[in-house]
Amino acid sequence: MLTMILRRLASGVAVLIVVAVLTFVLLNLSAGNVARNILGDQATPDAVAAKNAELGLDQPVLTRLGDWLSGAVHLDFGKSFFTNEPVFTAIGSRLPVTLAMVIASILLIAVFATLLGMLAAVRRGWVDSAVQVLAIVGNSIPGFVIGVLLVWLLAITWQVFNAVSNISPGSGVQTWVGSLTLPVIALVINGLASAAQQIRSAFIRQLDQDYVRTLRSRGISEREILFKHVLRSAAPAGLTVLSLQFIGLLGGVVIIESIFAIPGMGRLAVDATTKGDLPIVMGVVIYTVVVVIVVNLIVDIINGWLNPKVRVS
Amino acid sequence: MKSRTPFAAAGLASVVALTLAACASGGGTTPSDSSSAPAGGGSDRGGTLTLGILQEPQSWDPAQAHVGHRLQPFQLAYDSLILREPDGTLAPMLATDWSYTDDAKTVLELNLRTDVTFSDGAPFNADAVVANIEHFKTDNGPQAGMATAIDSVTAVDADTVDITLSEPDPAMEYYLSQALGLMGSPDSLGTDAMDRLPVGTGPYTMVADKSVVGSQYVFVARDGYWNPDLQKWDEIDLKLLPDVTARVNALVTGEVDATLLDGTTFQQAEGAGKTLLEYATDWQGLLLFDRDGTLNPALKDVRVRQAINYAFDRKNLLAQLGGGKGEVTSQVFGPDSSAYVPELDTYYTYDPAKAKQLLADAGYANGLTIEMPLFTPGGETILTFVAQQLADVGITVKQTQVPIADYQGELGKGNFAAAWFSLFQGPTWVAYQQLLSDTTLYNPFKSTSPEIQAAAQALRTNGDDAEAAQALNRYVTENAWFAPWFRPSQLYYYDASKVAVVAQVQMAVPSIYNYSPVS
Repeated sequence: MLTMILRRLASGVAVLIVVAVLTFVLLNLSAGNVARNILGDQATPDAVAAKNAELGLDQPVLTRLGDWLSGAVHLDFGKSFFTNEPVFTAIGSRLPVTLAMVIASILLIAVFATLLGMLAAVRRGWVDSAVQVLAIVGNSIPGFVIGVLLVWLLAITWQVFNAVSNISPGSGVQTWVGSLTLPVIALVINGLASAAQQIRSAFIRQLDQDYVRTLRSRGISEREILFKHVLRSAAPAGLTVLSLQFIGLLGGVVIIESIFAIPGMGRLAVDATTKGDLPIVMGVVIYTVVVVIVVNLIVDIINGWLNPKVRVS
Repeated sequence: MKSRTPFAAAGLASVVALTLAACASGGGTTPSDSSSAPAGGGSDRGGTLTLGILQEPQSWDPAQAHVGHRLQPFQLAYDSLILREPDGTLAPMLATDWSYTDDAKTVLELNLRTDVTFSDGAPFNADAVVANIEHFKTDNGPQAGMATAIDSVTAVDADTVDITLSEPDPAMEYYLSQALGLMGSPDSLGTDAMDRLPVGTGPYTMVADKSVVGSQYVFVARDGYWNPDLQKWDEIDLKLLPDVTARVNALVTGEVDATLLDGTTFQQAEGAGKTLLEYATDWQGLLLFDRDGTLNPALKDVRVRQAINYAFDRKNLLAQLGGGKGEVTSQVFGPDSSAYVPELDTYYTYDPAKAKQLLADAGYANGLTIEMPLFTPGGETILTFVAQQLADVGITVKQTQVPIADYQGELGKGNFAAAWFSLFQGPTWVAYQQLLSDTTLYNPFKSTSPEIQAAAQALRTNGDDAEAAQALNRYVTENAWFAPWFRPSQLYYYDASKVAVVAQVQMAVPSIYNYSPVS
């Protein structure tokens, strides 16, 4: 088990380095107009050249890459070109908001998708059809449409929740709940559908297995079979789906954060990319890769714990 | 001096708008704990005002201040030497009076207030002004160009400053009411701390632990501010809402009291009973850069440039691209500048037949091709209209995609003979500098003419010389140096039950002083 974790970590670090270097080089090759964007249309060519020098953009790409890497190993990712905010601080202040939203969503998706998936697999018949139809509907409405509808209904018409985020440093739980409930609902509706579908088919596959028949023949209660044996065997498939969902949500929050004006990672990423704020974009890329690696590792560990066969492979 | 990015303007045509380039919630039932307004606080100030803003400062160093959207936040924490009234009149602020001491207008002497301190306790005096202007000259901010003509700044005595210019700059007094005039505490200028926290003499101070980059800024009234008349609120919160959907939602639910909307969202604000403040700060249309035919020989011929102007159905363009809100025009100078000539608004009318005739006369009866940049995402709708209208008279537009972040930079490199843009309409001299001088981004081929040189010379010593200014305007309009379409309206909406707002001339959003509580 430990060997597996170490091997996964090592390959994760390798992936991180390759992605970082590639992204850095690609971004920097197309960074010709950053100084002009920072200074705006009033700046003279001399001022733009001076700004380029100040940002180090007049250096060869490889020199810049070296500088960036030597800073990055000390967790110094530089400062935003546009707001002078250190990259670490910028991400540090937005990460909790996005993670709170994504983790709350994935937990809700996990619970409801499992319940719905199980229900559909066990009952079949009309329950199954209903879940399937709901899944297709939920999956086919884009998250931002759900978001806009929720704002219109619950924030504008009934004024139960905030239309835009109110989260600021030191905000109480009430503000967090008030600001994040609608975005989380929008994310859950979207993610729930496909997760429930996958979990349903995983359950059906397991229910058809010989061991279920054997367990039943021994007179073990249906409830115990379902929750103790089938759930455990179906879990790896479900976990894989949820881990993919989690990573998908990191992308899905981009539009949701825009609509609800949530100061999270998605908005930071979009903003930095449109403006060409290279240090922030690099920070966001590193963060994303790290999250993907960590989530995959956690899923592997849980799978290993659930299923001894995985540990050796 | 453009106040918005092309993207912001294109937001009219796109659903999700992002930008680069402008209280106690009124609803009452909306949960909101960030707005514990000290109800009046015993003063006659107006509680908490919350504004939805489109752009945030890149740094709170006054030398990094900009125009429009990125000037307004600075006015909270910083006073300027000269105050610009809503109608553009210059009035005393930190300077009690000022005048040129020589006929050549190269030495501007300012007398300063003596009762003002910075929020860190340092006194405001002539040395502080010298420190600020010298810092402004070297800090390479977005508006560094305002200080180009400044040769030296000297403290004559504790409350008198002389600004010596290398050549006359008719906009100098205007600049001192803008970014150049913002005064920061000398000890903080250029420090990293000032990037994050403003230190000025202004009516409000920023509450650092409630302010978050990329999200919101909280300001509270400063005790002992020298001019209580300008300090109308106990607290002013700025909420950064680059997305127009978020802005309109926040306004309708009372989470912000005032904000700028666009042609796709204003009906929702109207429906919720919000009040409209409508004013124009920009013109939109084509910049016909290549008047010497360097890149595209056809554009050297004035008849080709005029044909382009006759090809556009401006009313329709305004309806389609500007939501019908605004005024069509054929001139690049705005109604608030001394160069404005009312009849030039209709100098070019929609006349495809005349356009074709002009092209035939110029030897292009079989048509011609012009390459133009298409910024993505967001520029597709605009360029589609351009291409359609020009195709009708026989001009083919070759569209070359440019990422939005690179658009401005590409224009300045002289890679395109013509391009669409939305440009700020400033005072005459400022507009001249932006559109026609040989250093501006928007004149990449550095085209000029004896007529323009003569007008510039007259304006240099007197920026408001209406005769020279209007002659200049007539020349560039008649010779079709541009193809302006319309002045789009800024649609600024506010909750009139709480706040009264007055527009600020030539500014994308009102000055911070223009918001008054409604008792």
